[in-house]
Amino acid sequence: MLHQILWDSCRDLVQACLDHPFVRGLADGTLDPAVFRNYVAQDAFYLRAFMKSYALALARCEDLSAAQAFHELIGGALQEIAMHRDYARSLGLDLGAVRPNPACLAYTDFLLATAWGRSLGEILAAMTPCMRLYAWLGQNLAPRAVPENPYRRWIETYSAPEFEQLAARIESLLDSCATDSPEVHDAYRYAMECELRFFSAVMPGL
Amino acid sequence: MQQPSWSDSELILRAGRLWTEATWSPFLDAVADGSLPEAAFRRWLAQDYLFARGLTSYQAIALAKAPRDAHRVLIGGLVALDRELEWFENHAERRGIPLGERPHPVCRAYVDFLMRSAYTQPWPVLAGILFGVEASYLEAWSRLTPAGPYAEFIERWSNPAFVNYVSDLAALARRHPHPDAQEAFNQVLVYERDFWRMAWEG
Repeated sequence: MLHQILWDSCRDLVQACLDHPFVRGLADGTLDPAVFRNYVAQDAFYLRAFMKSYALALARCEDLSAAQAFHELIGGALQEIAMHRDYARSLGLDLGAVRPNPACLAYTDFLLATAWGRSLGEILAAMTPCMRLYAWLGQNLAPRAVPENPYRRWIETYSAPEFEQLAARIESLLDSCATDSPEVHDAYRYAMECELRFFSAVMPGL
Repeated sequence: MQQPSWSDSELILRAGRLWTEATWSPFLDAVADGSLPEAAFRRWLAQDYLFARGLTSYQAIALAKAPRDAHRVLIGGLVALDRELEWFENHAERRGIPLGERPHPVCRAYVDFLMRSAYTQPWPVLAGILFGVEASYLEAWSRLTPAGPYAEFIERWSNPAFVNYVSDLAALARRHPHPDAQEAFNQVLVYERDFWRMAWEG
């Protein structure tokens, strides 16, 4: 399966994400709340680009079952955006005033440039890493979602079976719409590199 | 009435120190005195070629959105870009520099910014961006005297025809202002600064 080949080819980056101080901080609950606040703001900006990319991918579908899948994935993205709105409210953040940091801008520009101008297969290759990585991180961190962990909700969101279903859904779309081409490999790997840089960009001193 | 000079553009004046940061670089100082390390030159040439390819796509989309009074300048620019790509290809072949390498993250982010903007921004913002790309390049190379081992490179981006092109782009940006143009222009300068830094440091 193409999605597995692509995931396996990025094991180094995936492991670096799991070992990242940001993710370690979520796991043991010691992450500086100011860093999490910064992350939520940047992630909210990112998710809007992600949702638009799904919509642009849907616009390329001739096949109605693929269109139905994108419809569900857009629903998932909107739910995530709503969750960030709740976080923002509790953290006193104004998500309308967020300016993307350089890593967030590079990632969202990559997604949107791909979504507007490239093939459906490349769009899916650019979007799948985010979904699979977060599902994998969530599942890895699930035993750490203890009541005293302030980041329990984040871990529960991404370790939930519903999120795994969405990740599997986009992977199956990737398998059916993308070919095993250098462009697809490159888009997938670059997106995973962007994920790692995204974490570093919200941590001061990294 | 005489046209104001391209360098009096409001976009440049309002960019503040970003303009200086985008147009001064140790890389260019080393080009000027002939001390540029071979590795830095090869990196710059390969990445600048990838950037020029991206800029060509950007400009083609901008042309599709542009009003009639911008067509001649943009089409002339596209023809010049095609010649420039060929010129890069010839240099790369002569020096054995592979052009199919993966773009550096800075080059990639810059081109993705251009492409995302091309697809989503209105024509006047695209005019401001294009002026930023070309004017900063003209300013950066015009500081150098066309002499030494890189005279041909300095000449390419400081000659009178290039000055005319940048003046035409300045006039277009002036005729088609937009409240979002400054922010996009400034972002171009950030990427220009980072691109020089990448070429110099790797």
